[in-house]
Amino acid sequence: MNFKMNFAWRIYRRLAQAFPHEFKLAYGTEVMQLGEDVVKDIAKRHGTTGLIRLIADIAMRVPLEYLSEMRGDMRYAWRALAKSPGFALVGILSMALGIGLSTNVYSSKWTMLFRDLPSAANAKHLVMFQESEDGDLAPVSYYYIEQYREQKSLFTGAAAFRTSVPFNVTFQGNLNAKPQRIFGQLVSPDYFSVIGVQPQNGRVLSPDLDQSGDAPVVVVSDRFWRNRLNSSPNAIGQTLHLNGQPATIVGITPKNFNGVLGVNPSELFVPITAPPALAPELANDVLHQRSAKDFLALLCLAPGVSMDSAEVALDSINRRLDEQDTTALPRIDKGRRVTLLPAGTNVPIPRKIKPVIIGFFLALMGLVLTLACMNLANMLMARGANRRKELAIRLAVGASRFRLVRQMISEGLLLSMLGGLAGFALAYLLGVLNSHFTPPTTIPVEFYFTMDWHAALFAFSLAILCGVGFSLIPALQSTKADLTPALKEGSALQLPGYRRFGLRNLLMVAQVAASLMLLLMTGFLVLGLSKGTSLQPKFDPNAMVLFSLDPVRDGYTPERAQALFEKLPDRLKASGHVRSVAMAAQPPFSGDTELTQVSAEAAQSSQVLQQVMEQTIGASYFATLNEPMLSGREFEPADQRVQPDPSKPSSLPAVLNESAAHKFFGNQNALGKRVRDDQRSFEVVGVVRDIRNVDGFTHATLYLPLTPRDFARPPAGGMTILVRSDNLSDLGAASGTDPLAAIRNEIAFLDPNLNIFNIQTLGSYLDRSRSALRFSVQTYSGIGVFGLVLAAIGLAGVTAYAVAQRRKEIAIRTAVGATPLQILRLVLREGAALISAGTILGFVGAMALAKVLSALTSLFVDALKIGTADPLLLVGAPLLLAAVAMLACYIPARKSTKIDPLKALREE
Amino acid sequence: MTNTPPRQAPPKLPQTFLPLKTHWFHILLTLAGGEQHGYAIMQEVLQRTNDKVHLWPATLYGSIKRLIEAELIVESDERPAPELDDARRRYYRLTPLGRGVLDAECNRLEELVRSIKIKQALVTE
Repeated sequence: MNFKMNFAWRIYRRLAQAFPHEFKLAYGTEVMQLGEDVVKDIAKRHGTTGLIRLIADIAMRVPLEYLSEMRGDMRYAWRALAKSPGFALVGILSMALGIGLSTNVYSSKWTMLFRDLPSAANAKHLVMFQESEDGDLAPVSYYYIEQYREQKSLFTGAAAFRTSVPFNVTFQGNLNAKPQRIFGQLVSPDYFSVIGVQPQNGRVLSPDLDQSGDAPVVVVSDRFWRNRLNSSPNAIGQTLHLNGQPATIVGITPKNFNGVLGVNPSELFVPITAPPALAPELANDVLHQRSAKDFLALLCLAPGVSMDSAEVALDSINRRLDEQDTTALPRIDKGRRVTLLPAGTNVPIPRKIKPVIIGFFLALMGLVLTLACMNLANMLMARGANRRKELAIRLAVGASRFRLVRQMISEGLLLSMLGGLAGFALAYLLGVLNSHFTPPTTIPVEFYFTMDWHAALFAFSLAILCGVGFSLIPALQSTKADLTPALKEGSALQLPGYRRFGLRNLLMVAQVAASLMLLLMTGFLVLGLSKGTSLQPKFDPNAMVLFSLDPVRDGYTPERAQALFEKLPDRLKASGHVRSVAMAAQPPFSGDTELTQVSAEAAQSSQVLQQVMEQTIGASYFATLNEPMLSGREFEPADQRVQPDPSKPSSLPAVLNESAAHKFFGNQNALGKRVRDDQRSFEVVGVVRDIRNVDGFTHATLYLPLTPRDFARPPAGGMTILVRSDNLSDLGAASGTDPLAAIRNEIAFLDPNLNIFNIQTLGSYLDRSRSALRFSVQTYSGIGVFGLVLAAIGLAGVTAYAVAQRRKEIAIRTAVGATPLQILRLVLREGAALISAGTILGFVGAMALAKVLSALTSLFVDALKIGTADPLLLVGAPLLLAAVAMLACYIPARKSTKIDPLKALREE
Repeated sequence: MTNTPPRQAPPKLPQTFLPLKTHWFHILLTLAGGEQHGYAIMQEVLQRTNDKVHLWPATLYGSIKRLIEAELIVESDERPAPELDDARRRYYRLTPLGRGVLDAECNRLEELVRSIKIKQALVTE
């Protein structure tokens, strides 16, 4: 009993010491005394339970007292802020902008890039193949995937899928309505089990239940069920018609699950056991063709297997399989063939790039937040110095320094919390704006933006971090226990003019440096991105109409589809006022095309694989775009009838653009030479000028002709038809309709069942692309300007404060004969030195950051290359910042020259 | 620093404190009989409620602190006679406002009891 009592008493004593300082001063003795008095009694009457209750009581009381003090602090802080609304406004605004931007970036980019696929149990073990270092995902044939499936020691499952597959969908009971073009995935039956997804209703596909020859089934996404089936409770068992074929709905995926590669959301999941009539991608027995690289492999690593060991194992497996394949052309690359990347997120990111992306965003947001905090820290220091006398008195009569610091931090915390709230709202607004300015794409792209509790927690934590961060040092500084000078000299403490490494000066240098870094980095990006807005086609873009067709999904056989495409250009031209018609597998000027590895076939054995953009186009494409050929010819209708035959050196023609020709053949004439990828070989028949795409950049590009295979199986975005007329309004004038309707009528005349979609003028297509780009540019510019304004405010405030502190000194100098100019020089000299130091640091920092980023990833290389070489930006930005900074210092400095010496001296 | 006199806070009404927290009620009730120190308050409450209400030390002083802030009690300057006095302890007494609040709460509780009795009579009829 005695031991327990003593132990309890010791704990009680310790806890009593933990009370806030003021409470201890007032009641500490009493609490100790009372505890001592009752502990024996409690032990006797209530035993251990009583002792525990005694300790629990005081343990709970301690935090309550702290909370109540914090409430008081907040009230005090509120009153203090209300008294200086200007300061409060600047503070809240700075915090709002900083936190808002950061939260927006977090809730859009972070979610998209790094959060696991929703409802996917195996998300962390999923991997996919990557074509090259930064390249796209590498498709393989279904045969290969079956081989991977056999490797039970490496993988618990290997699924095959194709994504962004369009389906023309009509609904039960509404078969005659115009079909909707809905995107989904073709998946192997083990897809869902490999990912680890359970249905919310019905069942998912499984190898046992879904086999070839069975009646077609489909699994729909939650989004499909909600939006298109109105959350009907009878969805399971309903029949959908996909591309004219019936399929029964057997299951609904969990909420927010839109398939792997969620950045291209899928609403339908059709098994590859379905008949080819339902999905043209499955035609020609692709499942059994070893060379048909039509599927993406989704592998789930077995427990204990690392990605590196899987890569090594897969490399040898692939090599073995490649060698067995006698029909393919011999592979030239000797290096590692297999690279894996983690596939459990909405956008699979190669492992090497992940830290770079994280670093980039952290750097940018970190800079923005640091600037805002430094600004506030500077302002708080100025305020704190004004209260030296008050604080000195409080310290002298016994307030604990910790208590005072806590009170000053409350002010900062209140500012940053209010700023955080405003910032959260700003982030939401930015997100909404973002989703309005999405560039047009042929397949749906999802920019994930969820302002959920993750984002709120993020904003809240940032607010607290910033609040404490920027108010801690000023609070500590102002409460330094050097009381006597503070009390003697009154509240206006004489700060020496040029304490070289004083905190205030360091802060100012850091602020200038950070501002310049931010300004330069955003300047680089803005310059690079804004090249895109300078894309100008060589003709009036409003005189061209684009539209897309996908006849195979409207029920056409491949042969009929080919016949349609062959006669389409002539039919359109015959309708009058049409100057030229061309077809392509992707919209013109699109940056949204594949990159492939191609090499030049030359006499020497060193055949280097180069990365080029590949575009598939039809006859008269360049003529329709008014782009002259530099040499050779472009594709003709005859080229479009060539059947590519992998067994003999193909006679497929190809066109290179300038950059590609130079890349492969240097200054030699490229005509007649050959290039090849790993499957086919082409002969160069023409070279065309470099054409900028909507990103504003030109890439080395290989143009291939549309072939019967492309007509039989149009790409996911459909076949794009370009119709150019001399004067668009003439197109419809004859029939009294607008041009777009005239085209629709023409197609309807050919076949009323053909669905035409994405019909628009080239002008509006370019506008939409540009406006998306412009929005990004404006956002980055805004960030840069924000940094500039913030720096200006901060510097102005600090200079004003310094001037106020030196009133006496300035007054004396004026009284003994200094001219206003001399006073001005005195005040500005200090500022100029600091600004110069900050500018140099900032410049060096920005260039270093740009170099590091470019070296680590090709993502920003283009933009940065242009930006860092631009002399206007490199010289202009520092000058601009320096000018703004000097101006910010000048205004309060000028006021210093107006100080009336008599008044000033009398005041002291 | 401006030189305007501090605003006078408006006088508080006892009604604003009702219903009174249990601990506060017991402390005020104890002090109704004269000034006391903390230990004595605790003991009297224990005795009066037959050990049902136990004012643990930290809670007791937390409540005392808040009662002082609410101006319902103050520390007493007067000390009792030397033979009864305990120099270590601080004594507290009711303020007029505190007395008013106590009275108001007692009235409220009596009303409650009256209503209960009426209801009981109705039920047993």
